[in-house]
Amino acid sequence: MSDDELAEEEFEAAPPAGEVPSPQQHFASRFRGVTGALGPLATVVLAFFVSGIAIVAIGKNPLRVYKAFWDGTGLNFFIHFGSHSVRIPFSTTHVWFWWDTASISAQNLQQTLLTTTPIILTALALALPFRAGLFNIGGQGQYWVGSILTVWVGESFIGLNGPVHIALCLLVGTLGGAGWAGIAGFLKAQWGVHEVISTIMLNWIAIWTISYLLGQGGPLQGSQPAIPVSNQIADAAKLPIFWGPKLLQGLSIGIFIALAMLVVYWLLINRSTLGYEIRAVGFNPDAARYGGMSVARNYFLAMAIAGAFAGLAGAIDMLGWRYSLGQLDVENQAGQIGFIGLAAALLGRNTALGVGAASLLFGALLTGTSGRQLDQSIFRPDLAGDLTTIIQGLVVLFVGLNLLGLAAWWRRRRGRVATT
Amino acid sequence: MAPPARTGGDDVTALTARFERVEWLSPRAIGIYGIFLGALAFWFALPPVMTRSPVLPVALGILAACAGIWSFSRDEHRVGGGAIAAGILGIVLGLLALRSSTGNLKDVVVWSALFAAMLRYATPLVFAAIGGLYCERSGVVNIALEGMLLSGAFFGLWAAIWAHGWAGNAAWLVGLAGAALAGMAFGAIHAVWAIHFKVDQIISGTAINFLSLGITGYLFIDKYGDTGTPGDITNYGIPDIHIGFISRIPFFGAIFGQLNLMIWLSFLLVIGTWIFVFRTPYGLRMRAVGEHPRAADTVGIDVIRVRYIAVISSGAIAAMGGCYLSLGFVHSFNEGMTQGIGFIGLASLVFGKWRPFPTFAATLLFGFSSALADRLDAYGDQWSTLFQALPYLMTLIAVAGVVGRSIAPAASGRPYVKQ
Amino acid sequence: MAEAPLLELRGITKRFPGVLANDDVNLDLRHGEVHALLGENGAGKSTLMNILYGLYTPDEGQILLNGKTIDVGSTKASIEHGIGMVHQHFMLIPVMTVAENIVLATEPRKGGVLLDYASARKRVRDLSDRYGLAVDPDARIDRITVGQQQRVEILKALYRGAEILILDEPTAVLTPQEAQELFEIIRSLQEQGKSIIFISHKLNEVLEIAQRITVLRRGKVVDTIPAEGATEPGLAQMMVGREVLLRVDKKPAQTGDALLQVEDLHVFDDRGLESVRGVTFEVRKGEIVGLAGVDANGQSELIDAIAGLRPVASGRVVLDGRDVTKDGARDMIDAGLGHIPEDRHRRGLVLPFSLAENLVLHGYRKKPESRRGLLQLGTIGRRAKRLLEEFDVRGGTPDTPAFALSGGNQQKVVLAREIDADPKVLIAAQPTRGLDVGAIEFVHRRLVEQRDAGRGVFLVSLELEEILSLSDRILVIYEGQIVAEFPPTATEEEIGLAMTGGGREVAA
Repeated sequence: MSDDELAEEEFEAAPPAGEVPSPQQHFASRFRGVTGALGPLATVVLAFFVSGIAIVAIGKNPLRVYKAFWDGTGLNFFIHFGSHSVRIPFSTTHVWFWWDTASISAQNLQQTLLTTTPIILTALALALPFRAGLFNIGGQGQYWVGSILTVWVGESFIGLNGPVHIALCLLVGTLGGAGWAGIAGFLKAQWGVHEVISTIMLNWIAIWTISYLLGQGGPLQGSQPAIPVSNQIADAAKLPIFWGPKLLQGLSIGIFIALAMLVVYWLLINRSTLGYEIRAVGFNPDAARYGGMSVARNYFLAMAIAGAFAGLAGAIDMLGWRYSLGQLDVENQAGQIGFIGLAAALLGRNTALGVGAASLLFGALLTGTSGRQLDQSIFRPDLAGDLTTIIQGLVVLFVGLNLLGLAAWWRRRRGRVATT
Repeated sequence: MAPPARTGGDDVTALTARFERVEWLSPRAIGIYGIFLGALAFWFALPPVMTRSPVLPVALGILAACAGIWSFSRDEHRVGGGAIAAGILGIVLGLLALRSSTGNLKDVVVWSALFAAMLRYATPLVFAAIGGLYCERSGVVNIALEGMLLSGAFFGLWAAIWAHGWAGNAAWLVGLAGAALAGMAFGAIHAVWAIHFKVDQIISGTAINFLSLGITGYLFIDKYGDTGTPGDITNYGIPDIHIGFISRIPFFGAIFGQLNLMIWLSFLLVIGTWIFVFRTPYGLRMRAVGEHPRAADTVGIDVIRVRYIAVISSGAIAAMGGCYLSLGFVHSFNEGMTQGIGFIGLASLVFGKWRPFPTFAATLLFGFSSALADRLDAYGDQWSTLFQALPYLMTLIAVAGVVGRSIAPAASGRPYVKQ
Repeated sequence: MAEAPLLELRGITKRFPGVLANDDVNLDLRHGEVHALLGENGAGKSTLMNILYGLYTPDEGQILLNGKTIDVGSTKASIEHGIGMVHQHFMLIPVMTVAENIVLATEPRKGGVLLDYASARKRVRDLSDRYGLAVDPDARIDRITVGQQQRVEILKALYRGAEILILDEPTAVLTPQEAQELFEIIRSLQEQGKSIIFISHKLNEVLEIAQRITVLRRGKVVDTIPAEGATEPGLAQMMVGREVLLRVDKKPAQTGDALLQVEDLHVFDDRGLESVRGVTFEVRKGEIVGLAGVDANGQSELIDAIAGLRPVASGRVVLDGRDVTKDGARDMIDAGLGHIPEDRHRRGLVLPFSLAENLVLHGYRKKPESRRGLLQLGTIGRRAKRLLEEFDVRGGTPDTPAFALSGGNQQKVVLAREIDADPKVLIAAQPTRGLDVGAIEFVHRRLVEQRDAGRGVFLVSLELEEILSLSDRILVIYEGQIVAEFPPTATEEEIGLAMTGGGREVAA
C-alpha cells in the first residue's frame, strides 16, 4: 500500500478528525531566511493599505497622515548622519557620534523604544503559549497585576539599597504575572477550561480589583486623599535612565531587559528541553504523549512563563516611567499594551526576531500617533489611537490568512514528495 | 446508566436505600436542596426578613453543608460540593449582612429594583449569548460577540441619530436596522474567514473584536468626539413599555411594569430560539451541521450554506443587543462601552450548555450581580468598584465548574472540508 | 435466470494522487440478490461504493440503473435513484434521537414551519414494523447499542426509498449475536424485493449471506463467482494472492527467558467497549512473536495498553520481571520498551520537527542529549547524522523537517529512534505500512537483527506475508482474543482462516 493509498484509507475509514492542519502547525513551521519575512511584510502593507481607506473615508490624505505618523516615531533618527558629540551614559565623558542624540528625532526615538519595551514582553506572553497551542489573551491583566505589585513593593521598603529594591520589585512583578496566568494555566491543565475565556475573565477581574485598590479609600491609594492614585515608588527603585532627560520620561535600561528576554525566549524555545516539550505539544499532542510528555504540565508551564513576561512588562514600565499607578490608567481603554503585544506576536510569527521587529513596528506606530508627537492639524491623536487599533485588527485578520497560502503550498509539496 | 443496585444488607442500609429510590429524595435532589438552603441562609439576613440574630443563617448554613456532605458521599460530587460551598457562603454572607446597618441593607437590597435592574443588565447578555448560540450550534466558534455587540451599540446609535431628522421619534427602528446591518457585516467577515479560508476561528474572532473597537471608536471620535452624542436621544431611543395593569401589582409591578421594549424582545428571543432550534426542521438541520457535518452532508444538507447563515445571523442578533445598550439603556455611546460583556455572554452560553433557557438563566445570574454592584455604592464608592469584578469572577468559576459536563456541539471549531 | 441486472457498474476507474483505487471495475447487481464485495483493506471496495453513492466522481466508467445510464454526482442524486448506503462509520448524530436522525433533511412538517414529531415517530414505527427492524424512535443514538444504531442507519436509507442498499463492513462493529440478527434482517429485506451489496472481508459471513461474490484485489476485479460452491480457502486465495516476497534468511531462534509477559489482559476502547478480552501471551528473549489479525480486532488497544498509552482494565503486564501494568508511557520507555507506532504521522513523528528533533523524541531529557535542561545540539546533531547514515535515510539532513520525507524514509527515522534506544522488547506495529520493497526489506532485516541480539520483538501486522516471513511464533487475534497459535511453517490459508473467524460458525 503506498502512502497515499494509506491516506485515502484514513480518509475513508477514520471519522473526520482534524483534516485541516492546525494553524499552530504552520505558524512556527520552517520558513527560513528572507522568505520568512515576506508574509508578515505583505500583511503589514495590506493592513496599512486598508486603513488608508478609512483615512480617506473621513476626508484626509493617507500619505500625508502616514508621513505625520512617521515623523513622530523618531525612526528617521537613523537616517540623518552628521557630526555630533554624545555623553557616555552614567559618566561625564563625551565622544564623537554620527547621530544627533539630542535632536527631536532622538527624543521621539526614545519614546518609541520606551513603548516598544512592554510590547516585546506582552508579545512574548502570547508567543510562548501559542507554541504550545494555547491562546493567551490575558496579557493585559497579567501586565496590570505585575504593575500593581511592583508599585506596592516600590513604595514600601523605603531606604532599601537601589539595585536590591529594583531587583525585588522586578521579581515581585514577574511572579505576580506568572501567578495570574498560572490560574488560567491550571484550569486548562486540570479541567480543560478554554484559556480564551479564562484569561479574558481574569483580565477584567484584575482591572476592577486593582481599580478598587487604587480608588477612593482603597488600600493602595496614596497619601493624597481626593485623587485615586497610588504613592510614587521610592527614588531608589526607579530604573536608571540612560538616554534622555531624567525628568521628561527618558529611556530607561528597561529596553535592555526586554531585549534580553527576547534572547531568553529564543533560548527557551529552541535550546531547552522545556521548549522542546512545548513545541512538541503544540504541534502534535498525541506524539508528545507517545514520547512520554505530560501535556497538562506543559500547558501550565507555558501559561505561567507567559504571565511572567507580561508581569515583567508591567514592572519595567512602573519602574521606568510610570512611578505610580492611578485608577484611570487601569480603567482607560486606549492603547492597551497587552493586546498590541498580541498583534505583534502574531505578526512576528512567534519567533524571537519576528517579535522584536513587529514590536518595534507597533511601538513606533503608537508613538507616532500619540498626542505628544502627532501634529494635531493633520490628524487628531485620539482618532489616531483608534486607527492604530484598526491596524491591529487588520494585521491579526490578515495574519490568519497567510496560513492558507502556506497550507496549500505545504500540502501540494507533500503530495509530490510522497509519490517518489 | 443505572445506579448501582443495592442488595439487602442491614436495616439502615435498606432504609436509606428505600429512601433513595424515591426520586425527590435521591442524593442529587438532597444536594440541590442543600444549595437552596445555603441561599436561604443568606437571604434571611436581607430585607424583607432581615433577621438580626445569627441563629437562623448559621443553622440553615450548617443544614445546607450537611446535605452537601450526604450528597457528596453518595457520589454526587458536583452538586454535593456546591451545597457545601453554598452552606459556608450562606453563613459567611449572612454574618456579613448582620454587620451592616439595616439602613444600608434596606437601601441596597430593594428586591424589586434589583430584579428590574437585573433584567436591564441581562438583556445585552441575552442577545449576545443567543446570537452566539446560533453560530456555535452550527459548528463555528464565535469569540467575536464582544465586537459584534459593540458595533451594534455604535452603528445603532449613529443610524438613529441620522434618521432622527425624518423619522422623528421612531428613529430607533432605523437604529435597530442599522445595528443589525453592522452586526451582519462583521458576521460576514468572520464567516468568510472561518468557513471559506478555514482560518483559526479564535484568531479571526479576536481580529473582529479589535476591528470593531477601532472602527467604532474612530467613527465616534470623528463624528462626536468634540461635541459628544446629542442629549436628546432619550426622546427617540428604544422606548420603554409601560403596562398599566401590571404596574399596579405589588412587587411584580415594579419589575415588569416599565421595562424597555428590548427586554420584552429578549424574552421572545429566548422562547423563539428554543422553538426554532428544537422544534423546526431548520433548527434540526443546523444542529446536525454543528454535531456531525459529514452526516448532514450525506443526507444532502448544504453545510456551508447553513453555517454562513448561522454566523451572519449571530452577528445581527448580537449587534441588536448592543443597540439596546446605547439606544435603550444609557442613551449615549462611549469607546469600548461593552467592557467584556460579549465574553460574559459567551460564558453564559457555555454555562447554559448551548440551550436557550439555561443560557437565559445564566444571563440573569450575571445580570443580577451587575445590578447588585450598581446598588452597592450605598456602602461607598470603592465597594461598588470591587463588585464590578464579580460577574467576571462568577463566570470564571462557572466555566471551571461546568466544563466537565458541558458538551459543545461536537464539530465546534473545526472547518468542514468537503471531499 | 438470465434477466437484465438491476444495477451495472461498467469500467469504473478512480485515481487518487499516487494510487489507482479502482481499475476498470465491472460489477452488476441482480434484482433481489445479496451480492458480496470481498477484498482486503485498501483493495478499493469502499472507494467503489462511495462512487456509487455519489460521494466521489469516477474518472472513467458508467453506472446503469435498469439499463439506463444515470448520473450520481451527489448523494442527493443517488438517494433519488433509490440507492442507500450504510457506512462503516455511522453517519448518525449521537445526541439526537432515532426519529430525528431518520427524518433529517426530509422532515414532516406541521403548519409549514414546525417539525411534526408525532408524524415522524409514526412513520419510523411504520417502517420499523414493515421491515422488522425494532427501534425506539425517541431513544438517543448515543444510548442505544451499536446493533440498534445500525438498524437506524438501514431505516434511514429505507425511509428515503432505497431499493438498493449498500452495507459497508456491517459486521465489523457487531457482536456475533447482533451479526446473526443482521442476517435475518437482510433476508427479510430480500424478501421485500430489496437488492443488497454487502462489503466485507469476512469469508464465512460472505458465504452465508450472499448469492454472488465479487473479489477485488488492488483495485481490480479478480472474479465474480456464485456463492454456491465457493469455499473459504478458495476465496482467501483470491483475496490475498500476490507475488511472494523474498523470505528473510534467518538463523533459527535461540530463545531465552520471557521478556514480556501479558496475562489475561482486558482493555476498553474509546467507545467503552471491551476490545481486548483476556489476552495472554509472552515474548521471549531472542524471538519474534507475530500477531496476525484483521484490522480492528483489538490489536491497537492491546499495543496501547502494553505501551502505557491506555489504561488496563484488568490483567497484568510484566516487562523483564517488573510489573509495569500501571506504568505510563514515559515509565515504559525508561523500563526498556520500544514502540514503533502503527500511525507514524499521528504518533510516531512530530512532522514539523526536524529529523534530529524527532530522533530524540524519547531521549531528549537524558544525558548527553541534554544537560541541565538545555538541549545539547551538537550531540543531538551528531547522533542524528550517525543514525541517518546507519539506517540509510534518504531525502534530508538532520535539519530537514520530517514532513518533507517520503513515507518510507519517515518510517526509517522512527525505526532508527526506537532501535537505537536499545530496548529490551520492541513492539513493531505495522512497521512496513506504505513502504516500498527496498524499505520493507530493510526494516525486516533490522527486526531480525534485534532478535538475534537477544531482544524480544512483538510484531503486529495486517500483512500475512510479513508475519510468516519474520515470526518465530505466530499468534492470531480475533475479536479481542488469541484464537490460535501457529509455527512459521503454517500456510497462509490456515492462518487466514483463523484471522477471519474461519473454521468457526458465526456463533449464535
